[in-house]
Amino acid sequence: MVQETPQATVPQATPATIEEESDLLERAQSGEDSAFEALVAATRDRVYGIALRITRSDADAAEVTQETFLSAYQHLRELRGSIFSAWVQRIAANQALMRVRHRKVAQAAETELNGPTFNERGSLDPYPASDWSRRADEKALDAELAKAIEKAAEALPEDYRRVFLLRDVEGLSYEEITEITGDSLGAIRSRLHRARLAMRQAIDNFYNGV
Amino acid sequence: MFSCKDSIEKLLDFLDGKVPPEIERRLEEHLSACPPCVAFLKTYRATPGICRKALAKKMPAEVASKLTEFLHQKLKGR
Repeated sequence: MVQETPQATVPQATPATIEEESDLLERAQSGEDSAFEALVAATRDRVYGIALRITRSDADAAEVTQETFLSAYQHLRELRGSIFSAWVQRIAANQALMRVRHRKVAQAAETELNGPTFNERGSLDPYPASDWSRRADEKALDAELAKAIEKAAEALPEDYRRVFLLRDVEGLSYEEITEITGDSLGAIRSRLHRARLAMRQAIDNFYNGV
Repeated sequence: MFSCKDSIEKLLDFLDGKVPPEIERRLEEHLSACPPCVAFLKTYRATPGICRKALAKKMPAEVASKLTEFLHQKLKGR
């Protein structure tokens, strides 16, 4: 695949545009190994990230990343009309889920999910104290907020966490998620809503000092 | 008229354009008269973007190096 060197050099991870990705993919499919290397460099953080979030293990995430790119290389010529980065994300999600499926994870009950509270008339109680929605546009996030979000994501029941990660963090389509998880679209949408409410609540609590 | 609870229950479908016209009308009616729900909608919509930033992971250099070596070993000579 790559020229042999005494020690492998790590290509820089640079995000490729869709056009660049498409060009690299075409060249990689024609047998140009350096183009495949560039695709790996451009997508490895995303692949590693999704593997780490699903498996919650550095060692498993590293292995899933290796398996993902090996599988991608082996099936490269089968990829038609799809985007390489989205394709390897799906492979990684599949590989990672296969690894954790047999694990017994302590499940939080659905009723433990946080969310908004309402009074007897069904009105928000209390009303949102601050609108922090524009914080999403800020380049860097408060480190403490990031910790609070990680903690809240960890606390989600596994089925909810998985859907939240695949949809809201990784940006997979509902169709891709149904294919990967085998769950129904209705179940996925319902879990996503509850999970997003819980995550919204965690951020809201952070900004309101709860 | 929808309550806050009714409206919030429909937010995902609403944002995804998946609510029937009648539900959409009732939801918009509620939102037009309920600033707290508008604020709630904005933060609900912003949640994925903030979480994506918070949970973004960069592959450690050592793992990246091992990945490159792994691909060298597995794929050389193919």
